[in-house]
Amino acid sequence: MNRKDIIRKSLIGFVGLVVLVVAGIRFYQHRHFKEQVVIGDQVKVKKLGNYFDGVKGTFNDCNIYFIEGTEPGATMMILGGSHPEEPAGRLTALVMVENARITKGRLIVVLSANRSATSVTRPSAAYPQLFTIPTAWGGQQFRMGDRWSNPLDQWPDPEVYIHYPGKQNLAYMDIRNLNRAWPGRANGTLTEKTTFAFMNLIKQEKVDVVIDLHEAELQYPVINTIVTHEKGQDLATMASMTLTDFEGFSIGTEFSPKNLHGLSHREIGDYSDAISLLLEAPEPFLDATRGITGAEQLLEGKDAFVVKAGKHGLLYAPIDDKGWPIATRVGRHTSTVLQIMQSWNEFHPEKELVCEGVPKYTELIAKGLGAFLIDPGSVAKGKVVFE
Amino acid sequence: MNAIFTPIITTLYYALIAFIVVLIIYNMIKTRDWKKEIVYVIILIPFLLRLFMLK
Amino acid sequence: MDMYTSAAIILGVMVLVYFIALWVKLSTELAMLVAALAGAVAGGHFFPARHVAEGAITYLDINLIFICATLFMNILKESGGVAFVVRSIIKTFHNSRVLLLILLSILLLIPGALTGAGSVTVLITGGMVAVVLNYMGISKIKTAAIIFLIAGLSAAAPPVSLWAMMTAAGVNMPYVGFFWPLLIPCVTGALFTVFFLGWKGTKIDVGKAFEELPVPPEKMNWTRIIIPFVIFFGLMFMGRKWPHDTPVVGLPLMFLFAALASYLLSPKKLDFFRISADTIKQLLPLIGTLTCVGILVQIMTLTGVRGLLAITFITLPAYLVIGSLFFFLPITESVLMYGSAAVFGVPLVLLFNSMGLNPIIALAGMSVIWPLGDALPPTAIIGRLTVDVAGAKDSYGKFLKQCIVPAIVIMILGTLMVLYSKQLGFLTGL
Repeated sequence: MNRKDIIRKSLIGFVGLVVLVVAGIRFYQHRHFKEQVVIGDQVKVKKLGNYFDGVKGTFNDCNIYFIEGTEPGATMMILGGSHPEEPAGRLTALVMVENARITKGRLIVVLSANRSATSVTRPSAAYPQLFTIPTAWGGQQFRMGDRWSNPLDQWPDPEVYIHYPGKQNLAYMDIRNLNRAWPGRANGTLTEKTTFAFMNLIKQEKVDVVIDLHEAELQYPVINTIVTHEKGQDLATMASMTLTDFEGFSIGTEFSPKNLHGLSHREIGDYSDAISLLLEAPEPFLDATRGITGAEQLLEGKDAFVVKAGKHGLLYAPIDDKGWPIATRVGRHTSTVLQIMQSWNEFHPEKELVCEGVPKYTELIAKGLGAFLIDPGSVAKGKVVFE
Repeated sequence: MNAIFTPIITTLYYALIAFIVVLIIYNMIKTRDWKKEIVYVIILIPFLLRLFMLK
Repeated sequence: MDMYTSAAIILGVMVLVYFIALWVKLSTELAMLVAALAGAVAGGHFFPARHVAEGAITYLDINLIFICATLFMNILKESGGVAFVVRSIIKTFHNSRVLLLILLSILLLIPGALTGAGSVTVLITGGMVAVVLNYMGISKIKTAAIIFLIAGLSAAAPPVSLWAMMTAAGVNMPYVGFFWPLLIPCVTGALFTVFFLGWKGTKIDVGKAFEELPVPPEKMNWTRIIIPFVIFFGLMFMGRKWPHDTPVVGLPLMFLFAALASYLLSPKKLDFFRISADTIKQLLPLIGTLTCVGILVQIMTLTGVRGLLAITFITLPAYLVIGSLFFFLPITESVLMYGSAAVFGVPLVLLFNSMGLNPIIALAGMSVIWPLGDALPPTAIIGRLTVDVAGAKDSYGKFLKQCIVPAIVIMILGTLMVLYSKQLGFLTGL
């Protein structure tokens, strides 16, 4: 090797190194970015690891927020972040933690059900790493995540994923999909251990209703709907009818298919006493026909290409030039959750869950999502926790 | 059994990645073709990102 | 500027730069990289380090499979195992052409079916099969066509079909019901190919073959060859039979264990490091291409080019969409490789679902067509690899010509499956 070779090789290597270092820093910062959550006096924070040692100290040892009223009543659990690439779920959970006041019963809220998946974005999908919700005090930043746990926390994948205990074959990467890993198992993968821990939590805390918050691409048939386990049929139907009549948006109901395994609406209902429901809001960002990919599209939900798909009748949810802004999507979730509570109370007057302070659909659209986030700088240090 | 073997397997994967990194660098140094040198550097990036647990 | 115009301009820039790069004699993978970078700059992303790195890691696991599988085969070859197997096949089956052709197709179908990668078939059994086919009086270029086409079908064949899997995961569909819809067309296509291209030939001249074939070391025997395969298939079987009592091993490590076993059992001493380094050198075009495809798809997604292509195709009239799958899918495969499943497979399956077609059968039909694109330029990566493995010296065009008839049959099979997916729904067993 002569001098020229050495210089050339060093130069090429150096350019590679620069790319590696710059990208590596961005990946590291994203994975370790601290999202701030303001907790009120009513909120107590536990860890998922309290319910199963197998997740203690792992990346998935997420925060569990308990908001308990003075009077006894029903317990409802809200799961955000099963799929962190669907931010309305996590943001709805955040709005509930920061705004909910419970007078009767108890609310358990999770922002990062699969925290590992909040720490990675999908290769070749060009997701933004962080996004900012504008607020009166400047704005609050959040991590964008993926559908699957970070390979840094669970690697390798098998050549095909065989669900436990259903033995159903699923695509190999779905072994890292939290919503294909219910009810989980103690000696399984990190993702399975996570759902196992949640199942323990649901049983130990005697949760009555679990609501798993999601978003879907508009080309996907299961959208703008409540997917319900057969135990939740009355609850979901009643909520759907009332919302469609009184809240200004329509939402359907669908039954959880009995032969699809690993999903929260199927397995939580099957393996615990809780009623399991799953909400889907529309997220044009997830559509395979989406155009320019970035935080703006993620939050505003506007996309000319997806609109074109709609004009050709290829979508299961409407879309126009106004798009599906994040406040609308979060609003659909908060109103649906509140309506499910309301319907529950009508069916179970002896065991009510009474929640105040959470903004509804119209309020969120009118004031924007940022109006319901609390400035972490404005509260005492002990009142801020990190996701 | 899973509790014992899973961390061992993951470690073996990182060792495999490290070995491949060595092989890629070795080949990159050996080749005289600048185009191949560039391709070696590009394929090296994902292996290093995983080795350093960045992605 | 609206998104259509901007995405179209960026697409134009990428295509232009790509062809200029090829014109100045850059390799396909570098041309892709340069096109991706030009697209990023045209889209206003002047230093897209994160996107380059994130795109580059897309196929890390698949690259690991390629590396470990090829290492295994190279060790087997250098230890004399391959020569031993070829001699045994010729000795036992030289009298029956039918049996021999069926046996060779099975040998070609298995590695790709298990790993989801046609190139693994080419690298693992391709070389061996090529030698036998040559002794059967089949020209090297025809041999290359047989191996390429069956390798493609093997990749689509169950249990692991990466196109079907990636698309299924993209549309939230379990990977269930694909076994028969994938197996039937793949086996049909493979048998048609091998008999169409391989029936005419000469009887094997056993004496001549044995004279020419490399002589394996004296101590080489079936046990030394079979044990590594037993380890590989044993690990795979354990994972399938007791998925919840055994740890996840993953294909790369299974191949690596097989490679180590083969190394330890080799009757002659082998240089493990040299073989490993040569393996990387041999795979550089394949790994390089996959890595750069990941980068290209990332930039296309970032800039809206991916969306433009997807929306343009799926909003064509339905008869055009289905009627053009046979060349559209291979063309997208030739540029994006597995990326095509995410970019086009997902919206297409959702489209077929909304048209009332059976998404599983339709996706299986598409999965059979996709791999044909691996022979087409610009990447043509598996096609080139096969021609190389088969030792054919003819022009690449001649190779493509040999592939045409069986390829058309496979395209028709796949298209009919999409068209009649509703009627074929019973194949899913659901």
